[in-house]
Amino acid sequence: MSGEYEPESIFEIPVGPQHPALKEPILLHFKIEGDIIVDVIPRPAYTHRGIEKATEARNYIQNIYLCERVCGICSFIHTLVYTQGVERLAEVEPPPRAKYIRVIVSELERIHSHALWLGVAAHELGFDTLFYYIWRDRELVMDLLELITGNRVNYAMSTVGGVRRDITDEVAHQIKKGMKIFRERLDVYTEVVEQEPTLRKRVVDVGKLSPHDAVALCAVGPTLRATGVKRDVRADDPYQAYDEIPFNVATYHTGDVLAQIVVRVLEMYEAANIIDYALDHMPGGPIRVKVPWNIAPNEVISRGEAPRGELFYYFKSNGTEKPERVKIRTPTLANIPAVRQMLLGYHIAEIPIVFASIDPCLSCTARFSFIDVKTGKSWVWDREQLRRYSLKWYGKQ
Amino acid sequence: MVWETVAGAIELLVFPGFLFIFWLSLFYEWVDRKFYAKLQYRYGPLHTGPKGFLQPFADFVKLMAKEDIVPAAADRFLFTLTPIMVLALSLYALFYVPMVPIVRNVALGAFEGDIILVLFILTMIGFLKFLAGWGSTNRFSAVGSVRVAFQLLGYEIPLAIALLTAAMAAGTFNISLIAQKIVSEPIIGAALLPALAIAVVCFQAELERIPFDIPEAEQEIVAGWLTEFSGRRLALFRFATDVELVLAAALMAAVFLGGPYGPAIPLIPVQVSYFLWFLFKATILVLVLSNIRALFARLRIDQMVHLSWRYLIVIAIIETVFIQFLLVMGVIG
Repeated sequence: MSGEYEPESIFEIPVGPQHPALKEPILLHFKIEGDIIVDVIPRPAYTHRGIEKATEARNYIQNIYLCERVCGICSFIHTLVYTQGVERLAEVEPPPRAKYIRVIVSELERIHSHALWLGVAAHELGFDTLFYYIWRDRELVMDLLELITGNRVNYAMSTVGGVRRDITDEVAHQIKKGMKIFRERLDVYTEVVEQEPTLRKRVVDVGKLSPHDAVALCAVGPTLRATGVKRDVRADDPYQAYDEIPFNVATYHTGDVLAQIVVRVLEMYEAANIIDYALDHMPGGPIRVKVPWNIAPNEVISRGEAPRGELFYYFKSNGTEKPERVKIRTPTLANIPAVRQMLLGYHIAEIPIVFASIDPCLSCTARFSFIDVKTGKSWVWDREQLRRYSLKWYGKQ
Repeated sequence: MVWETVAGAIELLVFPGFLFIFWLSLFYEWVDRKFYAKLQYRYGPLHTGPKGFLQPFADFVKLMAKEDIVPAAADRFLFTLTPIMVLALSLYALFYVPMVPIVRNVALGAFEGDIILVLFILTMIGFLKFLAGWGSTNRFSAVGSVRVAFQLLGYEIPLAIALLTAAMAAGTFNISLIAQKIVSEPIIGAALLPALAIAVVCFQAELERIPFDIPEAEQEIVAGWLTEFSGRRLALFRFATDVELVLAAALMAAVFLGGPYGPAIPLIPVQVSYFLWFLFKATILVLVLSNIRALFARLRIDQMVHLSWRYLIVIAIIETVFIQFLLVMGVIG
């Protein structure tokens, strides 16, 4: 790559942009010595979709549906953080019942996302039986989400000023019943993770990350909590109804892949408890308030804890029905420096599980940043520079 | 004389020769896939033929009809030779294993020492897989080939010890005679059960199935040593794997469980009873192999070699010493 001398024993393996271990495109350029990873250069940005720019051409309501499609798995948290941001821009407060419904749907989504991840992790380890079992039980949660919102994937539930559908007593009863069954199934998987020897051989002391590195590399979500750092937007900066609901922030101390599994399993239990509590303590009243069409010039940020970690939105309004700027930072982007650190020094066989352990959701991640390999200089281009560069590049052709 | 020649030809080509092995291999692939799917709450093959019975055959035909591609960088000679050789060797080994010995009462090619030949062929198959991956000049194939070779180092020795322990207990190197001896003296079979367990684990590694599907680990190295193969060559390799499954089941059934020989079933000619006993024992072994596949996660290559040298070989040697002890004490033999 760089043209300088490299010892013959270094073997380069490009993993991606298309590879069976990757569900979405990213290039991980590995340098291998023997069977050990000595270096890895991640290159995301194969799926840049221009969503941030597209938000500027649509009004606040249309943007809900656009932002919902930033991520296919954690679609609700994107609408939640988006609508929460727009409510802050317009300085309106959603009704308390809407806040509780948002919490319930986002925790159900966390369960389905973590169950999906656990299945994928088992698949990456070659444990397909566990994968099929978990995905079968995940259907339970998907069915509950369909019952509440009418959809299985893109729920279209949260809207500016509240939510679109109420949770009736009958549905609440169904959710509680579902959570009871799900907890029993979760007990089985906890037992498998604790006792299955071939599974433990592959995850204990693999992909270790120290708490110091995790904080220094700005890791977020379960990746950070797996190193023992107790950081969670739900607890640190409560949004919606999280300040009224008691819950524990799940952490584990070892920082390896096992810790990531344990943290996510504990979070699923915790999410089930939050849902039960929220259903019991849900206040009555309306589920939606009116918000003005045009929003006066303002500037806010909005954060939420997505299943993968902190999701961050920045908004600027200019007095019209369309936002001036929306900036999204998804958790996977924040975790990519950390996963590079986690991969170093481990075997080729551990590439899939370690990379999968951050629960990568790459299509949300495509951004621009440039690193010159020779000089180690890095820089970021804004849109105008990029436009000029592209004109220059195509002019040369 | 003429009858014997005709019977020999039929035995070689039709039953229990090539045609029988062909359909039995596809049948066991179907059994394996269906059972594995049921264990995972899936349906498995469903549409081609009753209960998807013809799916393996349809897959085979489909692959045979595909475009034949040889990568520009690959070694054309090895790339062409290895699929044919792997299939030919697996088929060849099956003629020394008693499946349904209708004419001579022993396997078609049986001679004193055929168990050594079969062991040699099993090693050659592993070595050819290494060459196949190495010759395709692909990074993933190269890693897969090295893993094939490492894995061979792991499972070959315990497998050899386990099979030869059975030969020692029966006092012959002829697989068919070992099988007959085990049926006439079931106590030998009972004493050999630990060796059977070792052989099951080793054949799981030979067949590259979970938890030992390390050389073709999909999530890590695409398809390992098979990555560059497509069309006819892939069809041959896949069919060879099916034949190997039959070989594994038939060999273990013969060496440890008495193969086609067994107590006579009343009202049934002895040849038919051979067929039924063989099918019964081999199918159970195939189901055991499938069940192991559904139980575990994939090991890492160093963990596999470690497991093999630290545990399998030690258990195999202890078993050999135990059998030797029984022989000296006159309990068996």
